[in-house]
Order: sequence, then C-alpha cells, then structure tokens
Amino acid sequence: MALRAAVLRHIRLPVQTLPAAGSRPQSQLSFLRLFSSHDDHLTKEEVIDRVLDVVKSFPKVDPSQVTPDVHFQNDLGLDSLDNVEIVMALEEEFKLEIPDKEADKIDSCNLAIEYIYNHPLAG
Amino acid sequence: MAASKGQKLSGMQKQVLSLYRGFLRAARSKPAEERRQIESIVSAEFRQNSKQVDRKNFLYIEYLLRRGKKQLDQLKSPDTIGLSSVNVSSSKKQNADT
Repeated sequence: MALRAAVLRHIRLPVQTLPAAGSRPQSQLSFLRLFSSHDDHLTKEEVIDRVLDVVKSFPKVDPSQVTPDVHFQNDLGLDSLDNVEIVMALEEEFKLEIPDKEADKIDSCNLAIEYIYNHPLAG
Repeated sequence: MAASKGQKLSGMQKQVLSLYRGFLRAARSKPAEERRQIESIVSAEFRQNSKQVDRKNFLYIEYLLRRGKKQLDQLKSPDTIGLSSVNVSSSKKQNADT
C-alpha cells in the first residue's frame, strides 16, 4: 500500500490537450433518423378494427350489433363474467397483460380501444 | 351476476371477477384440450352460482371464494393438467339395491 502511494507520488503523466472539437470536419452530420421511434405503434384504425373483430367473434355476441360505441353489458346483453372473458380475449389479441384494476373498468368498446391505443406495448 | 347499469362493482363482486380471471389465466398455461374443458366447467359453475346464490348471502359467497381460491392454487400447479366436475343432484334419492 505504501509502495503504491510512493509510486503514484513519483509518477508524472504527461497531459496532452486534445484538439478542440471544432477542428473535426463539420461535414460529418450526425445520422438523421428518418423514422420516429413510435413507428411500430398501432394506428387507431388498426386498434379499432382488431378490437371490433375480437368482440364480433365472441360466441355470445351478435356481430351486427357491434359498433365502436357499444357497451358490453348494456348494449350487447353480456354479463360481467362475459366482460372478463372479452377483456382476456383482447389481452391475447394484442399480447398485453391488463391488471385487474384496469380490466374492471373496461366495459365498452370505447374504453377497450382507448386503453389499448394508449398502451405502449400493444402489439 | 345480473348485468348492472352503471357498473359500480362491490368489493365482493370484484373478488369474484378476480377469481374468475385467475381461473382463465391458469387455463391458458394448460394444453389446448384441457384449457377448453377448464373454461367450460369454470364458466358453467360461476354462472350457476350467480343464478342460484342469493347475492346477500355473504357467508356462503365468502365460502365459495375461499374454496375457489384453493382450487385455483391447485390448478396453477404444473402437475395439474385439468379438472372435471361431478354433478350431484340433491333431489334424487339413491336406490339401496345395487
């Protein structure tokens, strides 16, 4: 330990000043990203289409009744257990895991579309 | 569970739905045939209870929730591949001569 300190005290390293950043050729433009990082996020249209498809394919649902505004229980005559099933089917379609607290709030196509569209991981 | 307009779920209703969701999630991890069977049995049982059990019978509902949670824990074990149910009709009297 003492040796190390002694060595350090006696070694002097020459400090070189690096050339100023300005001397680097300015023609090197930083790479311009042309695509936004949200490019792989779903469009609202796509979310709406796929949500409606999932709801329409639910066996207890009459597909002709399904619009983006429908309420699962009030308009489609489903019960709260069906609600759970639909939300789980949406989870599988969009590869999401929706926590119970949020899932309980999703009781219409509107809310489903909003939630999924705003979810960063929807796929 | 009757459809309620304006969906304000009671604590107990939330527990029931949470349990139902738990069963459906557990079913996902099983093979396809067993998954279908689990979903159909669980769905039928929950719906039957929702029709037959008085929603004010808190004691019985709590009992069903406890029992359901235990069954769910067993189902989650990777050794369990499925479940089946037996219908016992309380109105029939068994014949003694078999």
